[in-house]
Amino acid sequence: MSSQLPLALRWPAHQRFEGFVAGANGSALEALQRASRCEDRAWLYLHGASGSGRTHLLVAACAAANAGGRTAQYLSLASLRARRAEAIRGFGGSDLLALDDVDAIAGERDAEHALFDLYNRCRAEGSLLLFAASAPPAQLGIGLPDLVSRLSACAQLALRPLDEDERRALLRERALARGIELDAAALDWLFARSKRDLATLFGVLDRIDRASLAAKRRVTVPFLRSLFD
Amino acid sequence: MSELWRRCLSRLEAEFSAEDLHTYLAPLQVSEEESGFTLWAPNAYTMETVRERFLAPIVEVLEHLCDGPVAVEVQVGARSPDRGVGKPATRTRTAPERVAGSDSSLDPNYTFENFVEGKSNQLGKAAATQVAMNPGRAYNPLLLYGGTGLGKTHLMHAAGNLMRANKPDVKILYLRSEQFVSGMVRALQQKGMDDFKRRFRSVDALLIDDIQFFAGKNTTQEEFFHTFNALFEGKQQIILTCDRYPKEVDNLEPRLKSRLGWGLSVAIEPPDFETRAAIVLAKAQAKGVELPEDVATLMAKRMRSNVRDLEGALNTLVARANFEGRRISSEFAQETLRDLLTVHAQAITIPNIQKTVADYYQLRLADLLSKKRSRSIARPRQMAMGLAKELTEHSLPEIGDAFGGRDHTTVLHACRTIRDLRETDGKLRQDWEKLVRTLTE
Repeated sequence: MSSQLPLALRWPAHQRFEGFVAGANGSALEALQRASRCEDRAWLYLHGASGSGRTHLLVAACAAANAGGRTAQYLSLASLRARRAEAIRGFGGSDLLALDDVDAIAGERDAEHALFDLYNRCRAEGSLLLFAASAPPAQLGIGLPDLVSRLSACAQLALRPLDEDERRALLRERALARGIELDAAALDWLFARSKRDLATLFGVLDRIDRASLAAKRRVTVPFLRSLFD
Repeated sequence: MSELWRRCLSRLEAEFSAEDLHTYLAPLQVSEEESGFTLWAPNAYTMETVRERFLAPIVEVLEHLCDGPVAVEVQVGARSPDRGVGKPATRTRTAPERVAGSDSSLDPNYTFENFVEGKSNQLGKAAATQVAMNPGRAYNPLLLYGGTGLGKTHLMHAAGNLMRANKPDVKILYLRSEQFVSGMVRALQQKGMDDFKRRFRSVDALLIDDIQFFAGKNTTQEEFFHTFNALFEGKQQIILTCDRYPKEVDNLEPRLKSRLGWGLSVAIEPPDFETRAAIVLAKAQAKGVELPEDVATLMAKRMRSNVRDLEGALNTLVARANFEGRRISSEFAQETLRDLLTVHAQAITIPNIQKTVADYYQLRLADLLSKKRSRSIARPRQMAMGLAKELTEHSLPEIGDAFGGRDHTTVLHACRTIRDLRETDGKLRQDWEKLVRTLTE
């Protein structure tokens, strides 16, 4: 007698729809939520600079689809190193497949062809495909026109990175959730000295969290200075 | 045991990179039996990777937690609520399995009724309809050729669907060329060539999409050649699509090329403006979206290369309109599609130039690219070459290639002729300016 186990490995908690700060990307968030609930069968193509939330949204869509009882898989095409074409041909079979970093295969004839095949196969099988890349399909430098035209048939969703005010608000909110109050002066100090992409900023917050806990101090500019200078 | 598995998972989560988790571990489904665990992977590549990289650590953690040996195996398959637990591959969706079914491969959504007809595709539609009404007799093979996203696949499925509507027990097999290739490779590996041959030769109609991808695959071409002959002699219908006139496909065997020309070959050209607008409206209606005519006009005017771009633009509009709860107006479309429209304005391509010039002079694209040398065709062709040099970054040899494999000196001559005529011939100068404006607006 076999028994069914709950969801196997968990999708990461920090890359869910709930934790996504939409900023100017509300329509992309909404489109992905609808897609992951199968409310809309149109395939989506997200494009935007790195740090604009592409991976977060794709992983969140997988998690949400999974939570809704559908199978899902995330794949960064950049992560496939050797035998890329063969690997791409080996994918599929999920209700939802999220393909990140489509840029990585541009100009590689075999891999482009394999992605074209995967696209056709998924379409015929009724699965839902989501794509993400740094730029719209026609600007990726893909040589196979059949693939470009198919990617172009997806709804195109441009992602814009959060602006500085939005990032400040987000950092402040995340800090508050950990019981740390970052005032305007502290934020000014951090934004002037740290790289301002979200990954770096969250890393900085981790460090502040640990240090302030150890030192049992409030987070002030002098404290930050003692920590980072 | 479940508790054990959960503890195993939390260890694994800490041990592997986020990417490994998303790609290989999170998609796994698990079933637990007396004898141990089975991990179900969605596809073969995931199964192999899990076996290769993750199985040992998984077993190690489990054995550590259990204090004894644990059996874990990895299989391809899916466990979903409606499919039962741990059943292998009710949904193993690899291409070769699909080939085994026959009629199921036809897409019922593609019909003649929902095909938008225009000057560019009416011949193709008429031929496909004829073939569907008289399979094996009207034209055999029927070959539809033209660029990507122009409706070849739609017509092919529509013909199949009509054949079936007329005769429900008809055996139709539709597949993409790569399914033929991979099916054959598998048959060769498993020594199942007899079955493979029988499966393809026993159908009433064989529909194969994108045969340009047979190029350079000699064994496939050989097998397809024999299949073709068997079907042809049996008066069984063959319908094929190709991205260009088959004689122009490199690395396709001459004897196969000649067979392909035995029936009827029809070019599907890029749709003209009116057809593009009608297509957008039809697609919107099919989606239940209210699309004002001026928006359809805007899209048709700015996106001229193929139907998929129009479809993508429509999907983009719908996604944003859903979110903002707004009606799709011309202003809303301008704003939403700004990036897309700019991309299209910037991306002036040789095919685009050829199409625009052919439209402008009311020529068929095929004539523009042909070897015909009459003045009424040669001059527009020179114009198109001149524009290609002026408006794209392509080299002269590349431009020559794009115009039916002409020499770069021919292109050079064309560019000089047009440059000189623009000085002396007022009408031609006007034509030039209008075309540049159309292409760059």
